[in-house]
Amino acid sequence: MSNQLNLPQPKLYRSVIEDVINEVRELFLDEGVDEQVLMELKTLWENKLMQSKAVEGFNTEEQAALQAAAQQQAQQAQQATQQAQTQQVLLPPQQQAPQQQVIVQDPKILQHMSATGMNAATTAATLALPTGISPYQQLITSQGQILQVLRAANGTQYIIQPQQQMVLQQQVLPQMQPGGGQAPVIQQVLAPLQGGLPQQTGVIIQPQQVILTGNNVQQNAQVQGGAAPGGPQQQQQIQQQVQQVQQVQGGAAPGVPQQQQQPPMMLQVDGAGDTSSEDEDEEEEYDEEEDEEKEKDGEDGQVEEEPLNSEDDVSDEEDQELFDTENVVVCQYDKIHRSKNKWKFHLKDGIMNLNGRDYVFSKAIGDAEW
Amino acid sequence: MAYQLYRNTTLGNSLQESLDELIQTQQITPQLALQVLLQFDKAINTALANRVRNRVNFKGSLNTYRFCDNVWTFVLNDVEFREVTDLVKVDKVKIVACDGKNTGNAAE
Repeated sequence: MSNQLNLPQPKLYRSVIEDVINEVRELFLDEGVDEQVLMELKTLWENKLMQSKAVEGFNTEEQAALQAAAQQQAQQAQQATQQAQTQQVLLPPQQQAPQQQVIVQDPKILQHMSATGMNAATTAATLALPTGISPYQQLITSQGQILQVLRAANGTQYIIQPQQQMVLQQQVLPQMQPGGGQAPVIQQVLAPLQGGLPQQTGVIIQPQQVILTGNNVQQNAQVQGGAAPGGPQQQQQIQQQVQQVQQVQGGAAPGVPQQQQQPPMMLQVDGAGDTSSEDEDEEEEYDEEEDEEKEKDGEDGQVEEEPLNSEDDVSDEEDQELFDTENVVVCQYDKIHRSKNKWKFHLKDGIMNLNGRDYVFSKAIGDAEW
Repeated sequence: MAYQLYRNTTLGNSLQESLDELIQTQQITPQLALQVLLQFDKAINTALANRVRNRVNFKGSLNTYRFCDNVWTFVLNDVEFREVTDLVKVDKVKIVACDGKNTGNAAE
């Protein structure tokens, strides 16, 4: 049922994206920014939309546009190899991951990259960049090397690419940033410089969001690993950086990389964990409650609040909708009317985000009692 | 100038995040990003006014209301949003509404 509501959305959003992209194209060119950056903006934008699951995924028109662009560049490069072509064929049947929309984009980009004769690493790197989320799968690159896409428990995904003879071309300016706060996501392409590396893990790309649910906050973490001939060492470094990023971001990480569990130092104000002190309260009652406050079972300030809060707890916050999104409606008002405590709302041109999904309306009429 | 109201939506936020990424990698300037956002404001306002044609009803209880700088902000509880095809219930919703009579103001 709700799908019917969402159907108009993709078209509307698509058209908005198209309009914006087309109109800023001029601005981009005036600034001397390459068209490719514009395409990257568009891809990033669409990926985030898909990730939010508020809207549907890619349009087939855009896939065709990608293909057209890829073919144009293929003609320019004149380095199309048979291997590339055959392995492009290999790609589609292997993609059986759940996120089909993302998968469809992959072969186009790989096709694009391999057609220009770039190496597997660049292909993989470019692959990692636009898609954002790579499905859990193994991809065969243009040079027959297997990319392993691993998905860690927390949602971050690592693309480990065994490389032995790689000369990588970095297409994204790499920047090392330990990250901080809600830093924007930077995708870093790291390249081992030369071939003949005995160790397999040469490139580790961590392009995505780190979702910390400890505080019910989604934070975009930027994690980057350094490129150097020492693979495993860098994994440790990367993990340390991940830890630092997380610690900086929310202070919620107890030092273990990317856990979705609540850190142990969080005080539990309600729930099963407090039964011990509550039992004591009930048994002892009267003045001895004050004594318990002085005793303080290791939970500062909590004992005081318990006798008060235990009655007030309506557990509203816990029973809130499945998503943490605060449901927001952004719109314009035609008329707001009130009679005593009866309010009437006449709204228009609004975008709603309810239970994690997006809805749109041209008119909305509502009633509420205050 | 159109309302900057719609920047805090899925569409707007994803655009802002993407622009921030490009700024971080220094592929675009902040000035250019701002221009893009202004363009987005125009586009979304136009699209909503012209391309959307559906109606929604809702009912609930009003928790708080605020009217400041010609912007209404409401928090409603236990609301049902009803469209012809569907019904959506939420425990809490925040409604931010700018003046719809004239889109001459850019509310930041």
